[in-house]
Amino acid sequence: MTSGPSKSTAPWSDLLLRNMAELRELYNHASDQFDEDAQADFARLFDGSSRMDEMLRDADSSRHDLMNVLSAVRGYSEILREDLSAEHADIDAALARLLKAVDSANSDSDSTPARASSRRIIHSEPGFILAVDDLQENRELAARYLSRSGHIVVTAASGEEALLTLDQADVDVVLLDLMMPGMDGHEVLRRIKEHPEWRATPVIVISGRQDMDGIIECIEAGADDYLFKPFNPVLLQARIKAGIERKRWHDREELYRQQLERNEKFIRATFGRYLSDEIVTDILERPEGLELGGDLRRVTIMMADIRGFTTISERLAPAQVVTLINRYLGAMTDIIMAHQGTIDEFIGDAILAVFGAPQHRDDDADRAVRCALAMQQAMEEINQRNREDGLPEISTGIALNTGDVIAGNIGSERRSKYGFVGHPMNVTSRIEDVTAGGEILIAGSTLESLQREYRVGQSRELNVKGIDELLQVYPLLGEQS
Amino acid sequence: MTGTILLVEDNELNRDMLIRRLNRAGLEVIAAGDGQQALDLMRSEQPAVVLMDMNLPVMDGWTACRHAREDASISQIPIIALTAHASDADRLTALEAGCDDYATKPVDFPGLLIKIEKMMEPR
Repeated sequence: MTSGPSKSTAPWSDLLLRNMAELRELYNHASDQFDEDAQADFARLFDGSSRMDEMLRDADSSRHDLMNVLSAVRGYSEILREDLSAEHADIDAALARLLKAVDSANSDSDSTPARASSRRIIHSEPGFILAVDDLQENRELAARYLSRSGHIVVTAASGEEALLTLDQADVDVVLLDLMMPGMDGHEVLRRIKEHPEWRATPVIVISGRQDMDGIIECIEAGADDYLFKPFNPVLLQARIKAGIERKRWHDREELYRQQLERNEKFIRATFGRYLSDEIVTDILERPEGLELGGDLRRVTIMMADIRGFTTISERLAPAQVVTLINRYLGAMTDIIMAHQGTIDEFIGDAILAVFGAPQHRDDDADRAVRCALAMQQAMEEINQRNREDGLPEISTGIALNTGDVIAGNIGSERRSKYGFVGHPMNVTSRIEDVTAGGEILIAGSTLESLQREYRVGQSRELNVKGIDELLQVYPLLGEQS
Repeated sequence: MTGTILLVEDNELNRDMLIRRLNRAGLEVIAAGDGQQALDLMRSEQPAVVLMDMNLPVMDGWTACRHAREDASISQIPIIALTAHASDADRLTALEAGCDDYATKPVDFPGLLIKIEKMMEPR
């Protein structure tokens, strides 16, 4: 009759490994106090323990082989107990516990009533656990306990190995032994908490002794939880479960945050150049208010250009032309943005801006009018600076028109921009053609859209191609005082 | 106690441990790794007691036991079976094969020593 490792062998083999781990830790701290014979016996005992590990993992190993190893473990434990001096009471007690575990394995494993607590399995979302311990028994034990509740467990035998694993895999929880040769647990913890990507990974520290000071130090350094060795499997599972839940929350939160950031970046990249920061922020805060794609919008269109600019520029050096035009466009852009206008494009010295898209506001026409007044007012200062720089004075004409246009991302896959199409655009251009320097001409449609009163001059009639009637335009003189 | 113990055990770790413990108890031990070797040593060395594992290579413990009982030169040597199984059926199988007693692994050494002692007493 052969029986591989079955779930029924688990309770006693866990106990055995646990006691073995405990013994090995005690022994490692005191190994130099033993004579050669005792050291050799300990070595054989631990050899037996490693073989047992292998057998429990290997489905093909027979009960007979397992019992042989158990027999050897028992034999060497008893030899050691016979030889131990009184000063090693702790090791003697550990050996006694180990022998008790061997006994429970011997009395038919299938019928051994396991203690309720070691039978209890805490179920949780499966996670990827990194168990770091220099002792093989402890690694093996953690792996067994945790894989039983569905987790994937990778182990590392040193701090250095642990960091390598963290570098390569997305670990959910780190189970970290504090006492290790080389890089110890404290150092590993410090590095995890310093690393931008690992920082959020919950770390459960394990202390070999009831080392409260060490634990407190670790919690202060960012550890999420702790366990004392030998640890209770149910407690371990419960803490791992809590750790995984923390990690999952963090991951979801992080994903959500990244999506938001991407969306915001996209929106800022798409609109940032046409819209004031205020509008972009507004859109970001109320994404439902912005519908992308072409749609019909009632907007107030502004066209402004420098009168006779071609003639002026012919008399100037190229660098002077650039200074002149940048000074003008820079000032105008600031004013338009301050009035929440959308700059569609600059065509040479001409500016095309729109009020009311992508974001509609009830005072679109009013803002356009006030914007135009502010622009004309700013010309004084521009010319002042031009004079100082020995540049010619310039004047601008501004046309406003209100109508329905198609607003949206226009262009091809490779190159597109948020732009406007429609007859009102052409009409605005026609008005602009007849605007004199320093003048603001507004169409009847804009005048009708205004919420507040403004002073306007005598209307003029304009013939526009494609419209049978004559277009009424009004020179805007200023705000109602 | 006088006389030599023949330990038949193919598992090295367990064999070394038992030799060590028997030696510590003041017993002389010779060892065999399979059933055939065990029979040869029984014939040549005439040990006082044989401790025999049942799962052995070449010739298993039960077969070796049966052969020993049929061979007049060694049929009187007591054999203690070492078995990995604690069930009654396994014990019976060992006793039926001609073993005088049995011990289950992992071996309870003080108990085993008592059994060995009893068998070494002159009958």
